[in-house]
Amino acid sequence: MTAVIEVEHLTKTFGKVEAVRDVSFSFAEGGIHGLLGRNGAGKTTLMKLMTGQEFLTSGTVKVFGQSPVENASVLGRVCFINESQVYPENFRGKHALKAASQFFVNWDEEFARELIADFGPPLGRPIKKMSRGQRSAIGVIIGLASRAELTFFDEPYAGLDAVARHMFYDHLLADFSRNPRTVVLSTHLIDEASNLLDRVVVIDAGEILIDADAEQLRVEAVTLVGKASAVREFAAGREVLGIQQLAGMASVTVTGLDDDDRQAAREAGLEVGPVSLQQLIVSRTGGRTSATKEGAAS
Amino acid sequence: MTALAMDAPGVARGLKERLWDVVRLHATNPWTTLILPWLITFAIFGLNYAIWALVSRAAGSGLEPDAFANNGGVSWILVYMMVTAVQAMSATFRFALGMSVTRRDYYLGTVLYFAMLSVLYAAGLTVLGWVEQLTDGWGLGGYFFAPVGLDSQPLWLRAYAILVLLLMFFFVGATFAAVWMRWKVNGLLTTFFAIAVVLVGLAWWATDAGLWGVVGDFFTEHSIVVLLAWTLPFTAAAALTGFGLLRRATP
Amino acid sequence: MNLEVAVDDGRPIFVQIAEQIEGQIVDGTMPEESQVPSINELAAFHRINPATALKGVNVLVEDGVLYKRRGIGMFVAPGAREVAVARRREGFRAKYVRPLVAEASHLSITPEQLSEMIRKEAGQ
Repeated sequence: MTAVIEVEHLTKTFGKVEAVRDVSFSFAEGGIHGLLGRNGAGKTTLMKLMTGQEFLTSGTVKVFGQSPVENASVLGRVCFINESQVYPENFRGKHALKAASQFFVNWDEEFARELIADFGPPLGRPIKKMSRGQRSAIGVIIGLASRAELTFFDEPYAGLDAVARHMFYDHLLADFSRNPRTVVLSTHLIDEASNLLDRVVVIDAGEILIDADAEQLRVEAVTLVGKASAVREFAAGREVLGIQQLAGMASVTVTGLDDDDRQAAREAGLEVGPVSLQQLIVSRTGGRTSATKEGAAS
Repeated sequence: MTALAMDAPGVARGLKERLWDVVRLHATNPWTTLILPWLITFAIFGLNYAIWALVSRAAGSGLEPDAFANNGGVSWILVYMMVTAVQAMSATFRFALGMSVTRRDYYLGTVLYFAMLSVLYAAGLTVLGWVEQLTDGWGLGGYFFAPVGLDSQPLWLRAYAILVLLLMFFFVGATFAAVWMRWKVNGLLTTFFAIAVVLVGLAWWATDAGLWGVVGDFFTEHSIVVLLAWTLPFTAAAALTGFGLLRRATP
Repeated sequence: MNLEVAVDDGRPIFVQIAEQIEGQIVDGTMPEESQVPSINELAAFHRINPATALKGVNVLVEDGVLYKRRGIGMFVAPGAREVAVARRREGFRAKYVRPLVAEASHLSITPEQLSEMIRKEAGQ
C-alpha cells in the first residue's frame, strides 16, 4: 500500500506556542482515515500543513511523494474543506459551487446536483448570511463533488443535524466505493464516524497520542463490571484507563485482554463490555472531550 | 478498486488553465470589479451633467466658454481601483487557497485580471472621451472623461495615460492587500507609517539640498509620455513586492 | 477462524459481518449458490468502511463458505450451510450453554431442574 501522506518529525510553532510537536505518521492511499482530537489539539494546523496553507517550522510533509507547498501538481489533486473557509465578500452559494466546479478537475456536476437536492442549501443566499449548517452543507457538497484524489474534511458538519450527518456518511461511502479516493476526516463526533475509518491518528496538545487501525482500537480496551473485589483482582497488573466504584460494584476499563482473558473474566462473573473509540480517546486524553459535553447536554 | 498511481497527473492542468481559473474567480461575482465602477462613473457623470445644465441655464449667454473644461472628474476612478484591488485580493486570496490554488498561480492570475481590467477601463473611458470630444463636451462644454490636464491631448495619449495610471494604482493596491494579508492590521499601519516617514524624509532632504528646482525641471523637461512611462518601473516594483509578501502569507 | 467468542459487541466489525452473513446462510435466508450482497452494498448498508466489509467477506471465502465468481460477485458455496451449522454447533456450548449453566447455578437451579425446563420449553 503506498502512502499518500507521509509526515515526519513535523513541528510548527506560532511564536512561542508549539501547535504541532514532532509529529510523524502516514496515511495509506485509498482509505478513509481519521484525524481525531480535542478542539485546539492541532488537527486543523496539521491539515493546513499537509495542504501547503501553513508553513512548517521543521520536519517534512510529503503528499503524493512531494512537498505540497506551492506545488500545483500536488495541490491540483487535493481538496481541503476547512471548517472556517472564507468566501469572497459577495459570494452566494451558487458562486462558491461554480468556482469549485472550475478549480477541481474531477468535478462531477451531476453528483453535485444530487447533493444539492439532498442537503438543500439556499444557493441564492449570500454565504455570509447563511447559517452554520448551510455553510457546512456547501463545504460538504464541494468536498464530495470535487472527486479530488485526496480530500480533507476538517470538522465538516458543524451545524448539520443528525439526519444531514448521516446523509454525508452515506454519500461518502457510496461515492467512495464507486470512485476510490483517499479521505482524511477530522471530527469530534468520534463514535459516529469510527466505523468508517481505516486508520486513526489521535493528536493531543500537538503530539500524536494514538496511531493505529480503527479495527485494532475497537478491541483494544474493555470495560469489566462486577463485584469490586473480583474486578480489582482481574485488573491487577494490567493497564487501567479508568476505574469507578459504587457500593460493592466496580467498573474498570483495561487494555490488553485477548479472547481467553475475556472468557475468563466472564466466568469470574464479570460483565465484559465494549469501549467505544470515543471512550477510549477520552480515557487516554484524561479528560472530557467537547463531544461528551455536547452528548451530555443534548 | 482501481489502483491510484502515485504520480499520475490525472488530468494535469497547464499554467494557462490555472491562471485563467483565477481570472474567472475574480469575475465570478462581477459586481465589485466590472459593474459598480461603471455605475458610479455614470452616476457621478450624471451628477456633473445635471450641474452643468443647471449652471448653463442659469448663466444664459454669460457663461465662459471653458467654464467646465477642467473637470477631469473621472480621475476618481484611479483611487477607486486601488481600493477595488485591495478588496478583490483580500476576499479571494483565502478562498483561492481553499480551492487548492498556489499563491504563485493566484498572484499571476490576479495580475492578469488587473491588467485586463486596466485595458478594459482605459479603452472604455477613452471611447467615452472621444464621444465627449465629438459632442463638444456633451453640448455643454463639460469635459468629464478627460483626466486632469489631459483634455487637450490626443486620444491615444489619454488611453495610454489611463492605462498606465490604472496599472499603477491597481498594483499599489495589490501590494497594500498583500501587506495586510501577511501582517494584518499592524503590518498595514506600520507600512503606512514607514511610507509617510520616507516621503517626509525625502521632502525634507529635497528642501534642504535645494532640489526642488531639479524636480520641477524633471517634470517640465520630459514629455507626458515619458513621465507616464516612469510609473511603469514603479508599478513593476510594486507588483514584485506584492508577490514577495504574498508568498509567505497564510489564510 | 474462531467465531465462538461470546457476544459483547466490542468485537472487530469484520467478525460481526462474517457472522451475520453466516447466520443468514444457516437460517436459510441465503441459500446455496445464491448471490451475496457486494462489498459496496454491505459497506453502505452497515455504514462501515468497505475495507472492513471486504475483510469480513474474505474470512468466509477462506473458510470455503463463500466463493467468488469473477466479474459477477460473491456466492454461497455448495455445502456452506453444513459448514456453518457445524461451526455454530461448536460455538453453541461456549456461547449459550456455559452462560446458561453459570446463571442457573447462581440461582441454585440444579442441572436436573434445568434439563426439565429445557424440555418443557422445547416441547412448546
